Amino acid sequence: MTISIRQAFGETLYNLAKTNRNIYVVDMDLKSSLCLNKFAQKYPRRFIECGVAENNAAAIAAGLAKTGKTVFLTSFACFSPAINWNTIKQSIAYNQANVKIIGSHAGLLSTDLGATHQMLEDVALMSAMPNMEVFSPIDSIETEKLITTISHSKTPAYVRLVRATTPQVFDKKLTFTIGKSHILKKGEDITIVGHGPILNQAFDSSLPKKVSLEIINCSSIKPLDVATIVKSVKKTKHLICLEDHQKNGGLGQMIASILLEKNIHPKFVHLAVDNRFGQSGRDSKKLYDYYKIGVNNLIDAINKIL
Amino acid sequence: MLSFNKDHPLDQLSSELRLDLLEIIYQSGGGHIGGSLSSIDLMTSVYFSQIFDLKKDHFILSAGHLCTALYVVLAKAGYFSPKLLPSYSSFGSLLQGHVSAQVPGVEYSSGSLGQGLSFACGLALGDRDNKTICLTSDGEHQEGQIWEAVMFAKKYQLGNLINIVDFNGYQIDGAVKDIMPLNDLAAKYISFGWSVTTVDGHDFNQIFKALKKESVLYPHCIIAKTTLGKGISYMENNYNYHDVKNLSPDLYNQALVQLRSKL
Repeated sequence: MTISIRQAFGETLYNLAKTNRNIYVVDMDLKSSLCLNKFAQKYPRRFIECGVAENNAAAIAAGLAKTGKTVFLTSFACFSPAINWNTIKQSIAYNQANVKIIGSHAGLLSTDLGATHQMLEDVALMSAMPNMEVFSPIDSIETEKLITTISHSKTPAYVRLVRATTPQVFDKKLTFTIGKSHILKKGEDITIVGHGPILNQAFDSSLPKKVSLEIINCSSIKPLDVATIVKSVKKTKHLICLEDHQKNGGLGQMIASILLEKNIHPKFVHLAVDNRFGQSGRDSKKLYDYYKIGVNNLIDAINKIL
Repeated sequence: MLSFNKDHPLDQLSSELRLDLLEIIYQSGGGHIGGSLSSIDLMTSVYFSQIFDLKKDHFILSAGHLCTALYVVLAKAGYFSPKLLPSYSSFGSLLQGHVSAQVPGVEYSSGSLGQGLSFACGLALGDRDNKTICLTSDGEHQEGQIWEAVMFAKKYQLGNLINIVDFNGYQIDGAVKDIMPLNDLAAKYISFGWSVTTVDGHDFNQIFKALKKESVLYPHCIIAKTTLGKGISYMENNYNYHDVKNLSPDLYNQALVQLRSKL
């Protein structure tokens, strides 16, 4: 049965908490949306409800972490890390507190909620912060493996989750390693790099069959698996970066900067939201087309780049 | 022969610490001297009253710009060598221009106002067996996050939490009442469900009595009425000394004479 990324998050944390008594949740009135009802019911002492007060919650999480807890700070990405960025910077990152910031409902995929809730700047905000890891899983299984892995780490981390139920990419045999990407499909002509469920578009049946694509799931945005990307790009000499995020400060710009510094110059297209706010829509495909990050845009990019 | 005609044994220590912090701010070329002088008796009380066991209890300086006061207190209390003090704010020094947890004895790095009380709430919640003492400034109470933490502390009945407010009435650009008045701060805390004690923040007897107050259910706010720049006449209640850059040798010597006269 396919479950959504956020369901996978809630289930995984519930299961981890059974054996790891140091796992705490600091929530901001969104436990239902983050599928944490079961956790809150089963572990009320370890479920700390802060109400809609994101700055307080971030520093509460940091203080709790300093007493030996592994704290998951849970909200929508448009509130946390968007409202409480500086509290995360000082109280969590600078103080090296073991807090995992879970920003759900990220990207245009939060669909009908509109521009205020479609967080398109979180990767930029969190990647710029020292002492902070940044992750963006593609499906529920990767979410489970990722959350399990970082629950054993002491490093502050940001995890970007989406609201929609999205296709399964991995099976249960997946191993997630911080700083490692996965080549989902080997190819020769174009490297396509992305993070989150938008990367599923690279498998769309309407893409040109004669072009051999190498598709890299870059769920570990920081630290970034530079070696795998560089190796692929040196081979294909063509790079398309696809993300449900702003161009400015997105994964595509990070990779472009790294490649330029290494004197590697592939033909490059960055498919991302270009300096615009989102808007409501019930169909994510329509939104992706409107913001020029849809399947048709990917087909155009493939045709243009070769 | 120095005269010791003091109300409290810590008055002597407090004067020595004022001299120490004047020295490092003068020698380094600048620092937040006004609030450091207003809050130093509060920090001295936390570290030298023996009310707290700071191997287990926590002290969080939310108003991180008051670091010079904390640095001289920690050096005096033996957390690190006083020889480190002259390096304050210089390149490569442990003693950053806002308080840093790199410094032995410091649990929390701060500088951006309004966050420390929240962090202290998290500590108090995770370590209910011990006390958490937080020091905030009055101007800092303009930050909305303070009130988020104040609500939280009551909800989770953090009876092991004390917030000491260094109420000197001034902030960087003027009087708190002109910049953004707090009106009746005690009434605000009471309405949020805290217990409140108002003390003279330079009277060790009053401060100690307030710090000893025990509670199970109620977080405790100690509003310490203090004097900005306390002990140096031309700095007292003069917001231009919120921070000082390149104090002149003449003013430095005046300050030295005044502080030494109290030894």
